[in-house]
Amino acid sequence: MINGKEVREGIHDGFPIFLGYFTTALAFGLLTRTSGFRFVEGLFTSMITFAGSGQFLMMNLYNAGSLFLSIVVSVFFINSRYIFMASSLSQRLADPKSVLGRLMCGFGTVDEVFTVASFKGHKLSYSYMAGLIFTSYVGWTSGTALGYLGGTFLPEVVQKAAVITVYAMFASLLGSETRRGGKAILVASFSALLNSVLILVCGLSTGLAFLISMIAATVFGALIYTDEEVGIE
Amino acid sequence: MNKLLLIISCAFVTMLPRIVPYFASSFLSKLPKFIRKCMMLLPVAALGALIFPLALTDFGASWYAGLVGVVAAFAASMLKGPMILSIIIALLSTTGMLLAFPA
Repeated sequence: MINGKEVREGIHDGFPIFLGYFTTALAFGLLTRTSGFRFVEGLFTSMITFAGSGQFLMMNLYNAGSLFLSIVVSVFFINSRYIFMASSLSQRLADPKSVLGRLMCGFGTVDEVFTVASFKGHKLSYSYMAGLIFTSYVGWTSGTALGYLGGTFLPEVVQKAAVITVYAMFASLLGSETRRGGKAILVASFSALLNSVLILVCGLSTGLAFLISMIAATVFGALIYTDEEVGIE
Repeated sequence: MNKLLLIISCAFVTMLPRIVPYFASSFLSKLPKFIRKCMMLLPVAALGALIFPLALTDFGASWYAGLVGVVAAFAASMLKGPMILSIIIALLSTTGMLLAFPA
């Protein structure tokens, strides 16, 4: 049932995510070492969690000496956005039946995989998703391991500039979506503006601010898009 | 604090919200049409908030380097460039800004 062509397409589409994750994970790996984690503990964290912001949050709170329960609850809240992303992505699967396939997609529903897959424009096969998730996962775990062992061996300016990779990917997806219809930029600007105000002006945590902005912008979008534009009968 | 327990607990609360919705499709398809429409628009809505303000604040005092990178990537894809080209252009312009205008 594995379609080699679609796996390769997934790997191809996952390459930008690989780049962004690898460089971000270098910093995470280094952070686990300086926080007193053993190599296997740092790597294990990335292997079973596979989440950027959630893992950084866990380490920061751990270093701040937070209570066990407050760390776990905070990590849950920063991850609550995935409920919406996974719900949305599950509606785009070509074969919604396979249990193993759904487990794999759930494991791999990170922000970047979600956006790349969502804008694919057709139903998603598990072969494609496997290629996409696998490539991202390799970037995240190998970056963590190398970051722990070698630190961020990239020159400082490169390491600093590499942060842009993931945002450039998002901006590129937004650009192609805007080409297809101008309403996309309206909805995205709405959420960008609201999120900036909530974080920079109101001082909300990034997790909560993101959740509010995303939900408010989807409602705004649903009001200005017609049913046909969204593909709902 | 038991580190292993912490790692596993955090992984659990990460995977729970990601995996459960994939097994709730019969519930999701019965939701009102407006909610399903919202769900289809979630990707576009997420994009804006995924980029701003973190693409700027991640660079601290050099926030303009992040802004230039994002604008460059957006412009490249508006001109029908492939995604990888957008990323390379963004990387180069952000690096250039960091070198030219160190904070």
